[in-house]
Amino acid sequence: MTMKVNKFSSHAKHKQQNTSTHHRLTNRHKKCKLKKISLLNACPGPAKLEQHLTEKEKPRLKRLKKSYAKPVTVNPENSFSEEVKDKAASGCFTRVHTNGDTELEGSSNSEDSQEWNAYANSVLQNGTESLTSPDTDQVDKDGLQYHAQLDHTQNRAVLVMQQDQTLCFRGKCLLTCLYGSVEVLGFTIEEGQQPYQLFSPPSHCPLTITALGNNSSSNKNKKEGRLEAKAIVRKYLSLEPCKRLINEVDSNSCVMLLEPLDTPLTRLLTSFTELKEIFGINLLELRSQAAIHNPALSVVGVKALRQPCAQGLVMSHTYNEALDRLLSAWAGEFDRCPIILVCGAKNCGKSTFNRHLINSLLNQTASVEYLECDLGQTEFTPAGCLSLNTVTEPLLGPPFTHLRDPDHMVYYGQAECQTDIDRYLESLKSLWRHCSGESPVVINTMGWIKGHGLKILIDLIRLLSVTHVVQLTCKDMPQCQLFTPDFLKTTHGWQTHPPTPSTLTEAPASHLAVRSYVFLNIISEFEGAGKSGEMRFQRSNELRDLSLLAYFSKMQSPEPGPMRPLHCFIPYQVPHSSVAIGVVHCEVSPNHILYTVNASLVGLCCLSEKVAGTGGPVVLSQTPICQCVGLGVIRGVDMARGLYFLVTPVSPSVLKHVNCLLVGQITLPIEQLTMQYGAEAELPYVTSDYSFEVMGAGKIHIHKGLLRRCFIK
Amino acid sequence: MKGKPAKKTRRVVAWMNKAEYDHVFEHLYSRDHVLQKHALHRISAWKGRFGQNTPVAVASTADLVRCQVLDNTGNLEANDLVLLYGMALVRFVNVITERKQTKIAKPLRLLARNLNIPEWVVNLRHDFTHNKLPSLKWCRKGCEFVLDWLHKEYWSRQLGGQLTEDWNHSEEEDEEDCAKRQEEILLCRKKEIEGHKKVRELLISYEREQFQVYEELEEQEWQRGVWPDASADLSWILTQIKHFAADSREILVDVLVQDGFLIPTAEQLESLDIDPSEDSVDVFSPCLPRVFHQFWLPLLKVLSSFVFINLILDRLFTELSNEPSSHRAYYIASWISEILLCNSRSELKAHRQLKTSKERIFVNRLALAWQTLISACVNAPCPATPFLLQQILSDMDKPLPPDTQQNLLQLCSIYTQGYHGNSSPEPSDPAQPVYTLQSLQERLKASQNRDAHSSNHTPASLQAPPTEELQEKLSPEVLQERNSALRGSAWSVCTDKVPWKQYPLGKVPGQSEDTSCFMVESYFTLNVFDQQVELDQLPRHHGNRSVPLQSRGATGSDGPLWTHNDLSKLKAGLKLF
Repeated sequence: MTMKVNKFSSHAKHKQQNTSTHHRLTNRHKKCKLKKISLLNACPGPAKLEQHLTEKEKPRLKRLKKSYAKPVTVNPENSFSEEVKDKAASGCFTRVHTNGDTELEGSSNSEDSQEWNAYANSVLQNGTESLTSPDTDQVDKDGLQYHAQLDHTQNRAVLVMQQDQTLCFRGKCLLTCLYGSVEVLGFTIEEGQQPYQLFSPPSHCPLTITALGNNSSSNKNKKEGRLEAKAIVRKYLSLEPCKRLINEVDSNSCVMLLEPLDTPLTRLLTSFTELKEIFGINLLELRSQAAIHNPALSVVGVKALRQPCAQGLVMSHTYNEALDRLLSAWAGEFDRCPIILVCGAKNCGKSTFNRHLINSLLNQTASVEYLECDLGQTEFTPAGCLSLNTVTEPLLGPPFTHLRDPDHMVYYGQAECQTDIDRYLESLKSLWRHCSGESPVVINTMGWIKGHGLKILIDLIRLLSVTHVVQLTCKDMPQCQLFTPDFLKTTHGWQTHPPTPSTLTEAPASHLAVRSYVFLNIISEFEGAGKSGEMRFQRSNELRDLSLLAYFSKMQSPEPGPMRPLHCFIPYQVPHSSVAIGVVHCEVSPNHILYTVNASLVGLCCLSEKVAGTGGPVVLSQTPICQCVGLGVIRGVDMARGLYFLVTPVSPSVLKHVNCLLVGQITLPIEQLTMQYGAEAELPYVTSDYSFEVMGAGKIHIHKGLLRRCFIK
Repeated sequence: MKGKPAKKTRRVVAWMNKAEYDHVFEHLYSRDHVLQKHALHRISAWKGRFGQNTPVAVASTADLVRCQVLDNTGNLEANDLVLLYGMALVRFVNVITERKQTKIAKPLRLLARNLNIPEWVVNLRHDFTHNKLPSLKWCRKGCEFVLDWLHKEYWSRQLGGQLTEDWNHSEEEDEEDCAKRQEEILLCRKKEIEGHKKVRELLISYEREQFQVYEELEEQEWQRGVWPDASADLSWILTQIKHFAADSREILVDVLVQDGFLIPTAEQLESLDIDPSEDSVDVFSPCLPRVFHQFWLPLLKVLSSFVFINLILDRLFTELSNEPSSHRAYYIASWISEILLCNSRSELKAHRQLKTSKERIFVNRLALAWQTLISACVNAPCPATPFLLQQILSDMDKPLPPDTQQNLLQLCSIYTQGYHGNSSPEPSDPAQPVYTLQSLQERLKASQNRDAHSSNHTPASLQAPPTEELQEKLSPEVLQERNSALRGSAWSVCTDKVPWKQYPLGKVPGQSEDTSCFMVESYFTLNVFDQQVELDQLPRHHGNRSVPLQSRGATGSDGPLWTHNDLSKLKAGLKLF
């Protein structure tokens, strides 16, 4: 709550200061609705217990926000140019390599030992050699683009950017705007605001920092602005680096402070060998040598990219148009609070658009509500959860960098909803009840838009009284059904019917004009739109594993130290008869159910019914739709004493209310089971003898688009 | 995250261990329908664990055995059974051949032939789908055959270990994985090259800083005698190196042992005022020049972690075994000796010039992998080997028996006496046969085995982090805080004194090894009804009017008779097991 107020007041303040000066932003109707916001702050939602609890949890997570970008895929059409790049790149590799070798050997037979003795600075000739190598020249040239200097004592960098300059990067950092304002994925960060965490891993399209210049310059004259900016630079840098930077500072430049970002999450992820490069650059960028060498930036964990890899988010004309329409809907051109449903096939850019939209809305309002309907690629939770979130902080990284405890959540337990569409829709309806409707609502949907998926979408549009439907389509993909209001007039959903003329006359309320919605179609034009990412960290199962790792990273101690595997934590215990257990995705014989439950990931749920067994486990006869407060792992089952042992990051005050554990199809990343350092017993459920050579050892395999011989010429 | 090019990949399976797998296998083929049913129920639990990854052979076996059980218990009519058998057989033929299918559809007959499934089974399948339903007799015959086939091809071969499979070509891994792996390799290589470059730059700037410090000390004619604390610039460099080491320790160590870093070049020695000629040193008991030691001390202090020290010792010995020049060998041996000395027991500290703790690379004794060290040491013979071996032997946590020590030293001296002259620590016994390095190693192995029996401790792998700190410890305050937050509920923090880190997920202290340990005899079934959300309860926002909705059936024309709610209630009353 306090955060909300802060945010509000800071907005209110600069609103007052800068009303006349937000020229750049006025075209986005950046009118802070003071009235609206204060209203919002004044009325907290229904004081439900769970809500209260989740609220209490929030501050812990508040600062963890990230936004994120699109998968970049190798486009086969570019294979020619790529090949050329490849050659260039491999040439470079060899050269670098040779450099290394010469340096190695060369060190002992140097001739300039006089110079060496004079100032011991040529400890090794290679030192001087590499300084003058052609490589370095290029490096220096590029380095000029970004004026960044390092504060050695505090290990942070000050970056000065001129108005409209952009920095597209990989890596992670903590960004504080010291002077002027910058924009990252739609969110404007101004001087005086809190530091924001930026994550730009290779799984998504890289983040871009755009300098917006200084909005308040009209109040002061140019000279004052310049002096102020320079004073700030002096404050943060010692004399020497300051001298190098000070001349770049002008009244409309932006000054940022970049600090290295080190959280339990980043420490945990990078502690896995396979994930060492999770904040590095991707192969494509590596091949085209896209990383710009800038020592100050790389020390804080930012690898600037050069063209053509520095494109960042590709926004098509339709994209910008839709965004403007939606922002103006909130700013007052539309007479209702917008409920925006975003849909489209897989990999069309839905979630990036969502983040961009939410960030842009957060420039104007204190909070945005977000309904998660996509089970596979969830934004704030591990996969398999449906949730309603109040977003108050921008999303400046991919989902796994900003997991948060939602206001309300239902554990569906599978990454797809086909097996039980009714439970899926009922779950969403139960979440929707909690939607306050006082801030704009963004609804994220599945990429399944054919067959039943289409029917589900139609239901959602009707059930959630959506005011705007944004549909993303890919330029190169076969045309798919557009969800226009006209289409909805005649199509049946899974649970709902279109209004028939007869009911219109029969129903007494229907004389009120039925409101339609605004339909916006975005044609995605980025490279690789519609194709699934093939590079590391881009495949959906990898992203799901990352989300789970991130979720459990909350258990790691905030102080640096060894990363604990899950089995090393002291568990909670609960008697078998006090919590109900159920398996969501298949029928399991109750006598054998503990074989499924042991060492499994479970959703921690709260049933309104009292659970009291008569000794022995309490088994659910069917999957209930109920509030879920988080996930945990059944770390063991004590049969003698009748206890479950559970490890979870959920706080005890919330865990208290849990009386139901649901096992779903979402499983722990396999490393959590196969790599358990320190465990002395044989690892259960792990074998290195399982052979896939044996017939029938694999899972069901589906060949899509099998060709028939008779159709082949 | 998955698919390392490891020799034998660890896989996650649904059975706890081989015993549980064998247990189910045995029961499935027991022909006793009670046992078979038990196995089917267990497989239902496996499916809960496997999710979508249930092996098709396991699923097919379960389906067919289920048919057999229903057939034998005799409650179903022949026509009922034909339908059940039909589905099980059709699914078997289809899913088992699907893996062998290529882009262009091949006839099932061909695919089946390659799998040793006779044509009549495939024809039976075709009859089920396209032709007159086969008779129950044929169904039983087909089922019998397929179960035999699964027995032979899957159940008795799986986990048997008779196959030496190449995981790289396993069915599971497709082109995607290959491409990914190549990409990873490429990325690693590039990373490594850049890492080398970066760390060299860092170390060179470190050296530059330190030389400057040295020069200044020189000018002041060592009035203060000690090296000053690290300057701001130097600490900055050190921080960077430390960060680097956290990431790429191996690369750092690689570079450190190259000439020009831990192994000084002649020029470097000269500029530190050290006589680079070899006559001035005692190759048999190497010792670092003090100034040179001081030169590197700040860096090594920063880096001295358990893992790093082990790694660098390992690297130094490896380098030593590569028959380096005598200059290199001397400095490598000196560093090894230096590190060992830092680690030595307190009583030995006085052994050489008294070193204040400030001058030591690390202060606390580390648990080194002693056995590995001994092998490494004898694997890298040089003039200083006896000296180093002596140091190791006297320092071990669990010293070898004195006679073994003696023998080892003696052997070592014999082997290195080419370098030695008369200075061997023990007079060689003429009765001793001449040993080769190989026999030395064999003896060593023997002594190790003996040692391994007496002490159960195996040297920790260098890759694994030290595990002592991994166990979470909660302070009494935290414990109390958590328990008071949980008060009033059935939950509590487990306060048993259990070293949880020793118990992998899925195991608890006192857990029975029996495969039926998790069976429950009695359980309580809880019926919970969904919180139905009526459509009219959905919130309307700011006067939004949604399209008037009708649930199916309201108009009575084409909807199902039961609503979801009705169905839930019906399902709740249904008992499947």
